[in-house]
Amino acid sequence: MNGSAWFTQLLPEWILLIGGCLVLFLGATRSARSSNQLPFISLVVVLAALVVSVLRPVEGLATTAAPGLLLTELTNYVRFVALGVGLLLALVNWHQPISSERGEYLAMMLFSLLGVLLTASANDLLVLFFAIELVSVPTYVLIGLSRDDSRAPESTVKYFFLGAMAAAVLAYGLSFLYGVAGTTTMYVVRDGTLQSTLALGAGMDGLALIGLLLVFGGLCFKIAAVPFHFYAPDVYEGAASPVTGLLGFVPKIAGFVALLKIFGAMDWALPTSFLWIVWLVAAASMTFGNVQALLQQNAKRVLAYSSIAHSGYMLIALLVGPLAGAGPMRDGVLALLFYIGIYGAMNLGVFALLASYQRDAKSIELIDEFKGLAAKAPIAALALAACLFSLMGFPPTAGLLGKLYIFSSAFSLDQSHAFHGPLVALAIIGLLNSAIAAAYYLRLVAAAYMQSNDPDSAPVPKEGMGARLGLVCCAVAMIGLFVSPMSLVRRAKPVDVVLTGNEVSTVLTAAPEDSSAVVLAKPLDSESASSR
Amino acid sequence: MESWILTIVVFSPLVGAVLLMLMPNGGGLRRLAFGWSLVTLALAIYAVSSFLQAGPDENTYVLTAHVPWITGGDSSLGLVDIGYRVGVDAIGMWLIVLTAFLTPLAIWASFTAIREREREYYILLLFLQVGMLGVFCALDLLLFYVFFEFTLVPLFFLIGIWGGPEKRYAAFKFFIFTLAGSVLTFAGVVYLAYYAWSSGATTGGALTLSIEELTKLGQQGVFPYGVQWWIFLAFMAGFAVKVPLFPVHTWLPLAHTEAPTAGSVILAGVLLKLGTYGFCRLSIPILPEAAVGFAPFVAVLAIIGIIYAALAAWMQEDVKKLVAYSSVSHLGFCMLGLFSMKIAGVSGAVMYMINHGLSTGALFLVIGCIYERYHTRSIKKIGGLARQMPWMAFFLVFFTLSSIGLPGLNGFVGEFLVLLGTAISNTAGIEGDVGPLGYIYVIPAATGIILGAVYMLWMCRCVLFGPLNEPANTPDTSRGLTKDLTMREIGFLAPIALVCIFLGAYPKPLLESLEPAIARNILQLPEDRIAAILELDNEAEVVLIAEATDAVPPSEVRIVPAAALVPTDDFLTTPIDKINIASPETAKGGVADER
Repeated sequence: MNGSAWFTQLLPEWILLIGGCLVLFLGATRSARSSNQLPFISLVVVLAALVVSVLRPVEGLATTAAPGLLLTELTNYVRFVALGVGLLLALVNWHQPISSERGEYLAMMLFSLLGVLLTASANDLLVLFFAIELVSVPTYVLIGLSRDDSRAPESTVKYFFLGAMAAAVLAYGLSFLYGVAGTTTMYVVRDGTLQSTLALGAGMDGLALIGLLLVFGGLCFKIAAVPFHFYAPDVYEGAASPVTGLLGFVPKIAGFVALLKIFGAMDWALPTSFLWIVWLVAAASMTFGNVQALLQQNAKRVLAYSSIAHSGYMLIALLVGPLAGAGPMRDGVLALLFYIGIYGAMNLGVFALLASYQRDAKSIELIDEFKGLAAKAPIAALALAACLFSLMGFPPTAGLLGKLYIFSSAFSLDQSHAFHGPLVALAIIGLLNSAIAAAYYLRLVAAAYMQSNDPDSAPVPKEGMGARLGLVCCAVAMIGLFVSPMSLVRRAKPVDVVLTGNEVSTVLTAAPEDSSAVVLAKPLDSESASSR
Repeated sequence: MESWILTIVVFSPLVGAVLLMLMPNGGGLRRLAFGWSLVTLALAIYAVSSFLQAGPDENTYVLTAHVPWITGGDSSLGLVDIGYRVGVDAIGMWLIVLTAFLTPLAIWASFTAIREREREYYILLLFLQVGMLGVFCALDLLLFYVFFEFTLVPLFFLIGIWGGPEKRYAAFKFFIFTLAGSVLTFAGVVYLAYYAWSSGATTGGALTLSIEELTKLGQQGVFPYGVQWWIFLAFMAGFAVKVPLFPVHTWLPLAHTEAPTAGSVILAGVLLKLGTYGFCRLSIPILPEAAVGFAPFVAVLAIIGIIYAALAAWMQEDVKKLVAYSSVSHLGFCMLGLFSMKIAGVSGAVMYMINHGLSTGALFLVIGCIYERYHTRSIKKIGGLARQMPWMAFFLVFFTLSSIGLPGLNGFVGEFLVLLGTAISNTAGIEGDVGPLGYIYVIPAATGIILGAVYMLWMCRCVLFGPLNEPANTPDTSRGLTKDLTMREIGFLAPIALVCIFLGAYPKPLLESLEPAIARNILQLPEDRIAAILELDNEAEVVLIAEATDAVPPSEVRIVPAAALVPTDDFLTTPIDKINIASPETAKGGVADER
């Protein structure tokens, strides 16, 4: 490996890292803290990383750059989506917090995004673990820094302890997977195609199942799925709205990408008993999340429960995976990747609204506090409605197409497959759930439009345009992706080749390879094996 | 221009909505909305002329356009072919005209009633129009679903913001009820797409949602009965709520009572037709066997709805609720006609959709005029208004008569054809095999007609005649209204009345244009039969319906124009296999072969 590949292939990651450090150091100076310099730099950093990743995509099926990393088409897609939503996050967090820790705050946001990018490129179980922790640890700090309110530290502590436990569970599960496979490497490149190395061997089902379960449990915490969801409403309520918008997206995409990578590395040869567990988690997340959300008065708690429900929808797509065939409408991986991208934006839009209006010098939170919004700020109300209808899965927004991809992939599993029936049932549970969900999203819409038409009773806009601009961008993105979904799907399409190009018969351990194959994973493979 | 005219019509209200957003506050808003809806009407009429030139009798759909929307790259990934596909046949075209015709009137009717948040109000009405126009020309299932669902959003706001005292409850109930049904329809759509694709029979092996192609597959028997059964049920969940069929009709009276006048007009006039249109455009052609199988079940629900809603209407105190229940009853007839699976019945049902849109829409407009003056709709609080408001009385009686199907007015034609179609449904004829319904369904349905006359005339008597009964401090003329109807109000009622008279007196052009569309696109008759049917229309006024006997299987039965037969005394007593059976070709020449 030559030295420059280290840098050029990982340029977006480097930009984020260096930019984050820069923001951190500048934050220590008084002049930078008081002006808009820091948010502007963060925005430019994310934009630069996005531009670089779009202009210089990873070429070919799989390219390796550094030990423990494997850059694939998946990296391209995750970079695009995470940095795209990252731009919106930078906008929404523009004025947050108004305190001396602004530099630290924005740097943590950039580091968390860096973690997402690394999750997508990780090729070693350990690197994957570290990447996920790189996503999580900054979020603990972000919640604590987000506002001067007694609830913020409480949320931090809750999130931190539960997060630490989830990390332990995840690490324990990964150790089982290592034990079964004998290697921590997930994929090797052989003859120009990806081959997975964690596929289950005969007689190891029991151990592998325990490992899988633990990994899944640990990641369920990140994606806020039942039964590891209890923290979500409290943490969402305690953190400031812009951070909550971040919490709904960054850990979720990292968790789902990690699950995709691990399942892919096992060739999707998952035991049926495990599939049933995922099935139950999906059904419970959707149902429990939606029903609980109906009962809430606080908009942030509503969105927390809705976030749980949305994890349920995405788990349907994960369950289908690549098993139903390739291409949009069939491929679960593609449906999941599309949905996570649009979910990040539409969810963030609602939090952006919460972040940009206040009553009595406090950000609005209760549903009733939305009243009069349509009279006071028609554009913000319209954008809010677009985001909410998208969460609902309603035309003319991308949410509908996201649901279409997910549910059609669930229907598309071959009829001879044992899981065809359960998946159809799950899809119908999901569809009925989206009708339940409409009830509480509509309450938010109705509060903004129907409760009062008196601009004087309306919430007062906060200083600064950042969050409102973010809100409008989210809404425009939702409508734009409805009209032209292929602009995002096209980017996700090569991804399924990466995850499904494997042959199911791949062996589990690192077999001897021909030296002609251009592999960087191979030496790593032996390294990691020998180092243990 | 030809292929884009429909797109222009559908999205023209959107342009109007954008203009409204940019317009300064003031009275110009409503005039712009009204003017723009007239532009849309003009465009729709232009579309009709292009439609007639494009040869609707020979083609399945005309004025078609296609833009890829969701595609699936190269074949190695599996093709996906979902697109923006539009096109119309006669059914869609006339419903588009109905929509474009009713919307300006509804907007005009709102001039005095709506005085707050005018801009949003008219923008939402125009949005609603986009959704409705889109449904009637969508030729892709996903596009259909998108427009179908989208109509919920503006109406939710229209009811929830400008509605009556229980507006929020009504808006929520309307939205959730309809959505709960249509998510199942969505499941049906997705499953249908999957099944068609997995059967491998689609063009190029692509996953397609083209209605034309799915119809073709449905006719080729690609979908086994079990699959059709489930998909039919899923479709029905969404469409039945929209129609609404008993027992999922409960949202409708509430939504109608709470909605502002224009909302009620559009809801009754067009939105309910989205349900029947869905049955007619999707369920029957794509799932023919399941449709036949379900027909008795649907018909029984329709009949229960007809009678139950008629009785319920009779008991109402609120005039608007009474008319709302009458809608449930009338739409039952529509469903009955559709599932007779005969040209007569289906064209009757389509006529019924149009007529119901006109008469019930107009009734809601008249009631709106009363409500604006008296601020009540309770039969107990108003009475004897004929002396106060002779013009209003004229229109109320006129539209009541049109609604109960007085011969000579529009309602009669549809009603008659529906009952005829239902009655002859289990008779084999030129249209082929026996249909699923029969005489037995006509008897209770006809009772519904009598009940319809009873409650509507009862309502007229209470409101118009008898001793004068007005609440205190009414009529309210503070908004520039006069005691009787103003010129503006006459202006929006008179056009509907004229159309009602025209359609009642001379429905032939409408029926004739519907016939080939129904035969080809809905009932999917083979081309030679369609040719024969069209031939019959041209050559003879009398249609003889022959019955199948043991000797002659239904598929063998041909119908001949009466002129082609040599009438003899024993004609009626001759067994069917002995009388002249003519193929269309020979019938054309007027010569009948002995068989």
